Amino acid sequence: MRGCLLALIVAVGAPPALAQHTHSTETLTATPAFGSDGTLWLVRGSGEGIVVVRSSDEGRTFSSPVAVNRRRIDIDWGPDARPRIVIAPDGEAVVTFAIFQDKRFNGRAYYARSTGGGGAFTEPKPVTADATSQRFETAGIDPSGRLFTAWLDKRNVARSIAAGRPYAGAALAFAWADSATGFGDTHVAADNTCECCRLGLAFAGPGRPAVMFRNIFAGSIRDHAVVTFENPDTPGPLRRVSVDDWKTEACPHHGPSLAIAPDGSQHAAWFTDGTRRKGLFYARADDAKSPFGQPLTLAPADRQPSRPYVLATADALHLVWKEFDGDKTQIRWQVSHDRGLSWSVTRTVAETTDASDHPLLVARGTRAYLSWLTKLEGYRLLPLGAGS
Amino acid sequence: MRRVAFAAALALALGIGVAALGGAQASNPQPFERGSWAKIVADHAGRPTIYHFWGLTCGPCLVELPQWGELLARRRDVRLVLVAADPVPQPPEQVGATLDRAGLARAESWSFTDRFYEKLRFEIDPRWAGELPRTVMIAADGTATVLPGVADLGKVRAWLDAQATASR
Repeated sequence: MRGCLLALIVAVGAPPALAQHTHSTETLTATPAFGSDGTLWLVRGSGEGIVVVRSSDEGRTFSSPVAVNRRRIDIDWGPDARPRIVIAPDGEAVVTFAIFQDKRFNGRAYYARSTGGGGAFTEPKPVTADATSQRFETAGIDPSGRLFTAWLDKRNVARSIAAGRPYAGAALAFAWADSATGFGDTHVAADNTCECCRLGLAFAGPGRPAVMFRNIFAGSIRDHAVVTFENPDTPGPLRRVSVDDWKTEACPHHGPSLAIAPDGSQHAAWFTDGTRRKGLFYARADDAKSPFGQPLTLAPADRQPSRPYVLATADALHLVWKEFDGDKTQIRWQVSHDRGLSWSVTRTVAETTDASDHPLLVARGTRAYLSWLTKLEGYRLLPLGAGS
Repeated sequence: MRRVAFAAALALALGIGVAALGGAQASNPQPFERGSWAKIVADHAGRPTIYHFWGLTCGPCLVELPQWGELLARRRDVRLVLVAADPVPQPPEQVGATLDRAGLARAESWSFTDRFYEKLRFEIDPRWAGELPRTVMIAADGTATVLPGVADLGKVRAWLDAQATASR
């Protein structure tokens, strides 16, 4: 097992010493999920493809990698894209990922399943029949055990342009999986979202996903919104999280994060470079219908604060993000034990002096962990809050 | 000729294929690494210079580029430095070909080659979160003017005129 661990660190840690210009398709992501039996699953994406590894000792040692893609793929290497993994209560693992179909960044989202404990995955299938473009797919298991996925879809862009009308951005699309036959029909929850930022996903209850995304408001203002479903087929109204007034035609490649606490309160974290607000922010709403409160500033804008992630456990909320001090990238952490009404002082929980993946959070019961892949140190799973 | 030989030696040292330097890819960007920014700015110090940050993965940048090509063709007084600042390093031949098509083959050109983009951006401007496009105009006395987003070329021309007046 030690050998496997070492091999993994080498594989994910040090890229080959080629000319750096050849790394256009290099990706550096590791995305975790815990199974109900305590197994840590990790899906890793690189220019070589997608593999899954498992750990039964909280990331100290890992199984041999199992390949997800069978054919060579041009993985979506955008800075906000990553293969993801979710584990159903019955132990089924589902990996989602996107590829580039062409040089114009049209994507195709796929999923693959493993019912055999991760020993092998099914041949990846598209999440939707439409082939126009899908990116930033994210999946989750709702509290009743149903698999949901949402992504940014460009089918309405193609239709609109064909009809001679311009169409800004992309659409937030979704589908539910009902059985082994895979995902059902695709529906559009919202048109004119920003097209290049990751989505935040949480559940307000069974059949009630809540998706946070960078929306395009009138005047090309790319601020954030949350849509909470009223039932599996009915996306609720679009709630603006904050008025940052970030007017931009460009792609920020910098999406939000959303969590829902057991009391139903919603917790949002995001990056903006708006005229009213610049940097990294957090806001909370009492429930799925209440407006979001006044945003809290997480970090000063001259420390390049980025990639926020918020996680709710049964008794706490955890918030992490990246800061850069000129030499080191640091992962900063805050915790709240009163549903986000007050927060601890900010602590640095990990750092690195070279390239790194987004910091992610993952829970096993009430225990929260930072999951972080860095070029120098490799993969780390660090328990948060021990002794604090 | 000597420059080509030097570039070939540099490319060898960096492990880049020498074949990539032949004819059509003559405008391949130079690798922008940790420490590059200070050197580039020092090279141009004392002379008004426009630094334009763009990206192959940035749609509005690609729309804007030909306008910079036009400006470069019309005004001989422009010192223009292009920096491809994609968060994921892009193939230099694609960066070079895109600049060629935009009429920017003769402009000085650089391209991010390091995934540790936090460091590269910090060296340029700690407050810059990486949004593209972005234009930074540095006057002879070192005064910097930042134009975030797609640049208003009217402002750029006015700035160039002001620099010419100041130097008389």
